[in-house]
Amino acid sequence: MSRAKAVTVCAVLAIVMIGRPMSAGPLRVLDLDGRLVDPLAPAPGVRATVFVFVTTDCPIANRYAPEIQRLTSIFASQGVRFWLVYANPHEPPASIRNHLRQFQYAIPALRDPEHALVRFTKVTVSPEAAVVDPGGVLLYHGRIDDRWVNIGRDRPSPTRADLAEALRAILDGKAVAQSATPAVGCILSDFLR
Amino acid sequence: MSRGAWTALLLLASTTMAAAPQAPATTFARDIAPLMYEACASCHREGGPAPFSLITYDQVRRRATQIAQVTGRHFMPPWKAEPESGDFVGQRRLSAREIQRIRQWVEAGAPEGDPRDLPRRPTWPDGWLLGTPDLVVTLEAPYTLSATSTDVFRIFAIPLPVAATRFVRGIEFHPGNARVVHHANIRIDATPASRRLDAADPSPGYDGLMPRSATYPEGHFLGWTPGQVAPLVPSDLAWRLEPGSDLVVQLHMQPSGAVEEVKPSIGLFFGHDPPRHTPTILRLGSQSIDIPPGEPRYVIKDAYTLPVDVDVLAVQPHAHYRAREIKGIATLPDGSTRWMMHITDWDFRWQHVYREVAPIALPKGTVLSMEYTFDNSAENVRNPQLPPARVSWGQRSQDEMGDLWFQLLARSDRDRATLARDVNRKMTAEDVIGYETMLRTSPGDTELHDDVALLYLGLGRPADAVPHFAASAAITPHSAAALYNLGTALAAASRLDEAAVALRQALEINPGSAAASANLGAVVLQQGHVVEAVKYLEEAIRLDPGNLQGLNALSSAYAASGRFDRAVAIADAALRLAPPGPLADEIRSRRDAYFRNLKPRPRAADEP
Repeated sequence: MSRAKAVTVCAVLAIVMIGRPMSAGPLRVLDLDGRLVDPLAPAPGVRATVFVFVTTDCPIANRYAPEIQRLTSIFASQGVRFWLVYANPHEPPASIRNHLRQFQYAIPALRDPEHALVRFTKVTVSPEAAVVDPGGVLLYHGRIDDRWVNIGRDRPSPTRADLAEALRAILDGKAVAQSATPAVGCILSDFLR
Repeated sequence: MSRGAWTALLLLASTTMAAAPQAPATTFARDIAPLMYEACASCHREGGPAPFSLITYDQVRRRATQIAQVTGRHFMPPWKAEPESGDFVGQRRLSAREIQRIRQWVEAGAPEGDPRDLPRRPTWPDGWLLGTPDLVVTLEAPYTLSATSTDVFRIFAIPLPVAATRFVRGIEFHPGNARVVHHANIRIDATPASRRLDAADPSPGYDGLMPRSATYPEGHFLGWTPGQVAPLVPSDLAWRLEPGSDLVVQLHMQPSGAVEEVKPSIGLFFGHDPPRHTPTILRLGSQSIDIPPGEPRYVIKDAYTLPVDVDVLAVQPHAHYRAREIKGIATLPDGSTRWMMHITDWDFRWQHVYREVAPIALPKGTVLSMEYTFDNSAENVRNPQLPPARVSWGQRSQDEMGDLWFQLLARSDRDRATLARDVNRKMTAEDVIGYETMLRTSPGDTELHDDVALLYLGLGRPADAVPHFAASAAITPHSAAALYNLGTALAAASRLDEAAVALRQALEINPGSAAASANLGAVVLQQGHVVEAVKYLEEAIRLDPGNLQGLNALSSAYAASGRFDRAVAIADAALRLAPPGPLADEIRSRRDAYFRNLKPRPRAADEP
């Protein structure tokens, strides 16, 4: 009985997913002034959109701040648009602004209080990245690189730059070799409790 | 299994199921808050060293899955020692049952329960936890930590302005920026060596290694890990702080991602009376570590037999990034064994001084042993070198170390002296192996050659010191100091002719060296050249009237030339300088013999 119900739910989800790229309408994503934003709205020259999910107090996400900023400066000139997505609904815009200043971010920030974007991009932790093409198709989601193997277990330096490799493939018009990788960080679903 | 048994099991299961609704659900207020207060909140609180607080229901439920994850993996609370290691001060460990309780609570949807069930919320004093410090020191200016991706190790020499000897019962370390300071190694330097290294770097502190003179105060461990404060020791166990000493603090910092200012402060707590007992620090370990690249299981072992009864007060393991398992075991004379330390997932970043809740009594004849296992393969994610490289012993983080330190207290003054002497011999013997290991990769490092040669001299092995001073002299051929060292070691090894050559060369380069003149005089005196000896020794005393060795040798030289009046006068001068001990005793007995020669008597008959 319950199994049959699960199948129905999946089917409904699948319809929604197929419908998603047509319009960003249902995504309730806010800017720091509380205005609804459609981060997937087509924009001239944008070849891919990257969402990097963070929270102000996740140590792993914060430690990636210089790397996130570095990747932005490399890829922004090649038609890649970056958004920082603050995924903890309990963080008010004022502390987010403060966080952006403190970590010297020069990337536009969004709030995702209902985790609409979290669900759409299938991310689970902070920091995690997702890449979406101009048609709204999810091309990559997962870690920025493989520095963290687990909570509390990290390499002296990463051996794979997963996000950068995905972006290079996309810009070269190739398929992303690994479209999903496991990310390590602060679990986002808890914040909706 | 028989059908009957199945039925019984099913019945049992259904009984349990039926009972479940009556069984109280796991709630935050009653079941989870006590765990948080006890095991987490000392760091995870407002103003604490952790990145977020875990006190209120809202704070905890919004990390609930994460808490279940990190406790299930034993990453939090950070306590590396396995339960069999013993009971330690500040121990934070959740039992399997408690970890299970957290998981069940999360699976049940993290319910709050009845707030009336909440235990009293713990409080922490603002500021100093051990009371009001007698002295607080800090950096003159904060250190600015940039937002790099790699961890930073920085050493700071902080002057300790005390006018007289103080007796320190403890220190309390405040990181100044808990977001980035991960742990601190703390030592005392009674010399200006650390201060000079700090001053040579324009920013606060310096990168590199602590000098050899920065040590633990005699018999005590110092250090800081988040959420931990070592309690004050009783006055009779305090350690002596001499004026002019510096506190040397090595901060391990994990950059936060933002530019951060770091300004630690340290409070010192003094006792009124001089200590009556000094513990002894024993270090077990190997300094001949040499791990081939890719080796997944490299094992080192060491052991030491206690010469007296002791109490173990504390244990501190130390290793770098490739160590995986740490074992410390005591084997008692009756053959029974007990764990002293066991860590199965060593992490360089969670180093800790483990202080026993109650001292562990070990009888004379107990063998303390250690066994560490290292993984130098690419599978070890913490391996700092990829592809893996050959790694040998050394203090830099790319080298490896494997030490297990014990703080031991013997039960009488005589036993303490025996233990200190025996442990010193054991550790110095390993230290020279460490130097030889480092010299394999840095054969041109004159400081290493000089340091190890001095240790050999201290061990009474001058023949082993000679090649190292010879190497130094060969690397710096025009250094009077190097030639002086070589000549002195040769003399100690009874190679008098070679010693005289080296000391003459040293004097040619620096004729003003009283020490070289004194040693050359002593050497030529042993060779039987009395007149020449007197010449060099008189010159040595002219240059440095307080040169004790020179005075001692000169009195012998005068005596050898029959000038007993002068021999007695110079021996008296030497006695005024000599500290009480074997040397003073020896000078006094010779002086008395010379004095007897002064007495009016038929001289010729007595002359040899």
